[in-house]
Amino acid sequence: MSPDYIKTICPYCGVGCGLLLKVEDGKVTATLPDREHPVSRGTLCIKGWSAHEFVHHPERLKSPLVRRGDRFEEISWKEAIALAAEKLKVTAERFGGDAIGGLSSAKCTNEENYLFQKLIRMAFKTNNVDHCARLCHAPTAAGMGQTTGSGAMTNSISDLAGAECILIVGSNAAESHPIIMGEVYKAVDRGAHVIVVDPRRTAVAANAEIHLRMNPGADIPLLAGMMRHIIDSGLANEKFISERMEGFPELKKFLDSWPVEKAANECGIAEGDIKRVAEVYAKAKDSAIIYCMGITQHACGTANVHAVCDLAMLCGKIGKESSGVYPLRGQNNVQGACDMGALPNVYPGYQNVTDRAVQEKFEKAWGRALSAKPGLTVTEMIGSAGKEIRALYIMAENPAISDPDVNHVLESLPKLDFLIVQDIFLTETAKLANLILPAVAFAEKTGTYTNTERRFQLLRKAVKPPGDAKGDFEIICLVANALGLDFSYTHPREVMDEIAKLVPAYGGVSFDRLEKAGLQWPCPDGGHGGTRFLHEGRFTRGKGLFIAPAYTRPFEKPDREYPFWLNTGRMFAHYHTGTMTRRSPFLKREMEGPYVELHPEDARAAGIKDGDRIRITSRRGNIVTAARITERVARGSIFAPFHFTEARANVLTNPVLDPVSKIPEFKACAARIEKEPDERRQG
Amino acid sequence: MLNRVRDIAKTMLVKKQADGVLGLIKGEWDIIRPHIFERPEEVDAMVIEPKWLLAKMAISILRSSRERYRLAVVARGCDERALTELMKRNQIERERLGTIGIACTADQARSCICSRPFPERLDAGEAISGVDPYDDDVVKGLLAGDASARMEKWARVLNRCIKCYGCRNSCPICVCIPCKLEDEVWVEKGVIPAEMMSYHFIRAFHLSDTCVACGACQDACPVNIPLVALQLSMREFLRETYGYEAGLDPERRSPILYDLHREPAKGQALPDWINTLREDDEP
Repeated sequence: MSPDYIKTICPYCGVGCGLLLKVEDGKVTATLPDREHPVSRGTLCIKGWSAHEFVHHPERLKSPLVRRGDRFEEISWKEAIALAAEKLKVTAERFGGDAIGGLSSAKCTNEENYLFQKLIRMAFKTNNVDHCARLCHAPTAAGMGQTTGSGAMTNSISDLAGAECILIVGSNAAESHPIIMGEVYKAVDRGAHVIVVDPRRTAVAANAEIHLRMNPGADIPLLAGMMRHIIDSGLANEKFISERMEGFPELKKFLDSWPVEKAANECGIAEGDIKRVAEVYAKAKDSAIIYCMGITQHACGTANVHAVCDLAMLCGKIGKESSGVYPLRGQNNVQGACDMGALPNVYPGYQNVTDRAVQEKFEKAWGRALSAKPGLTVTEMIGSAGKEIRALYIMAENPAISDPDVNHVLESLPKLDFLIVQDIFLTETAKLANLILPAVAFAEKTGTYTNTERRFQLLRKAVKPPGDAKGDFEIICLVANALGLDFSYTHPREVMDEIAKLVPAYGGVSFDRLEKAGLQWPCPDGGHGGTRFLHEGRFTRGKGLFIAPAYTRPFEKPDREYPFWLNTGRMFAHYHTGTMTRRSPFLKREMEGPYVELHPEDARAAGIKDGDRIRITSRRGNIVTAARITERVARGSIFAPFHFTEARANVLTNPVLDPVSKIPEFKACAARIEKEPDERRQG
Repeated sequence: MLNRVRDIAKTMLVKKQADGVLGLIKGEWDIIRPHIFERPEEVDAMVIEPKWLLAKMAISILRSSRERYRLAVVARGCDERALTELMKRNQIERERLGTIGIACTADQARSCICSRPFPERLDAGEAISGVDPYDDDVVKGLLAGDASARMEKWARVLNRCIKCYGCRNSCPICVCIPCKLEDEVWVEKGVIPAEMMSYHFIRAFHLSDTCVACGACQDACPVNIPLVALQLSMREFLRETYGYEAGLDPERRSPILYDLHREPAKGQALPDWINTLREDDEP
């Protein structure tokens, strides 16, 4: 058989690049870039080029497994589905539907997320459904939702190339969203100013015109100082403010308490630099703001998002081409999982569960009574395992690595009466399950993903799943039917048609229309071509809203016992909990194991050399990892990627939550370092 | 032009001159992707645009297909030169490969700064004259100034590298196993940007006499590094000094490997922008 080339979408980050999977004799043997893809245009990052490598890995789960003591035993699908349904049903009968929780997945398709939240909401009359957006862009959904009416990237990725100024705050796009950087550099080559705000000197910062290396967590003071200077020097867009905005007096009052000098002291950036970047941003014809986890993963994450939006709206840099606010979504389908209502407070399309009319609409469509009470979030569900939450159904999430203070997660999950994990590998979370359901990988399924620029894209099945593994779509339907619901869907396209009927903004989306290039929502009807940028002439919520950001300093800061700032994040060769990338030989070769970045002077003071094994300790726990000595981190700061199970950075992180969005403070906590004794000398 | 390509492809399949023809297919929903045509009736869905280089795919297909499988490739000038170069280096068996040669348009030649936008074996389309790469503004910009100014310009663009390995992965000539870029002695693992000297310059020098300037590397680069221009000086040096161009003559070997005794006196044939060879650099 000659090879075939199947067009599909990358399973890693939210950029949603186009792939061609080379299929030979029923196996995917290579990944090639898709020259026709509207975003990636024939390019890929290292992860994209390696996307096929984990698909046929020998450790793929091939049959349902049930826990018997300390071991897992294979069981049939019939037994597995019956057991899952029985345990969920009994738990709900005994403790009420709110004792059931579901973690949906930003790795799964829109259709699967829609069905998963529908299953949880219908079968148990609870809104306890959430997913890992809680750990990345929940502040965006909340914060941008409040200020603009839509918690999504305002513009399109290709718009960036036309911007005159790009302000990048807390995003290491060169490693985390590499294909976006191509558009940034296109703008640079046309003369654009790029300003990077980041405590680390990332590759993005190193290539910027201006790098502001601020104190960890001091985003609001910096942005407030910029806004204050913009107002003081008459650079605010008064026409835009008077015609399209509300809440300006409140913002003004807030900014009155942030003279530039005070802002400078708080964020550690010179007053002159704050003024200079404020002027560059405000004076450019089109200015875009890119932000990511550096903004959101703080205990004031939602307020940080408010501040970003305030700046854009103050200057009228929103609602037009090549401007706007660009939250870079993490997972391939985290935008879609949010859109599909895999969130405890909203139905699909961000329709509020507490809104009586909305509830009635969904009750009528689904034919069941639904709950008006917002459900629990990821961290709340895990925190109350064995208490309020008695049974948890986790689809393709790995909180045992991804959540803050994972030692606590590892203690909590076993307290559940029953834990179901549906995944493609025996993840650290699956190891704790009572029942494991083997699901399929991206190359083995059909459905849609929505990328960070709101683009619905079609995923195409290239190969058959291994062993008895079944698609998440099919598994959800089987569980639902065993619970007495009627999920008689035969193809994901039927689910998309149902979604289109229930969410006005996706009314015009159907599989047939997605075949060629996808569609960017809002797309209200079949004749609508999709939306390249939002808020033109009118914000989704009507008028834009200025919100005075409620600044709080990081909950922990370095002290005598824990003298370092610990920052966590991603590195370019791996993805999140490493379930897929660490099983990909080429990516594994590029980065075999864990490390922590340490400044040369701090290393010298502690007698640590490059490659030495060091122990990092925080108030939650400790890990042992290799030192990487580099000036990417500032003095007094260390950075640990969170991909590595043998040194889980999230053992250390602080589970303190943002009061609005409940995101944990992954980006700043206090830690200390110690050199580990040399094993060779001991041994 | 397209019909002529389709006719040739059909004939090759009907007459069993080829077991498969590698080209582009416009399939369901007008999706265009590479495809191996093995049945004559499929060929009606063949298209030749956009420019989509196929030489690298051809090698991997030939390597994994059964013995004696014969493949024809719808080849542009650069694809053909890459395939020729690979045959010279014993990477492809000559008798298993055929080409259906197509010419590029003037626009395509301009965007690739291609000096030879047509194959030696031209089956369809009109050969147009190529562009002079030294007339290109990007190239002129990169080559202007003294050595330190040029180094600064190159460092600026090469520091954008996100280490996707796309330049290597897409290059039809990059077929070494193991690849030097994966050797930790030279290239530090797990760090971006890839180091300019050890990653980009090793790659550039490895390809100094084999690069056919197809631009696949540049097309695959997410951060728009002008990789064709990076190879240009070495390619032009070989052309001006030895009249040698990679991939043109299947019988002619690289002067770097075989013609060193004919090396010119220092500086004699160097392009005039090279001013780095000073007397005090002499060993």
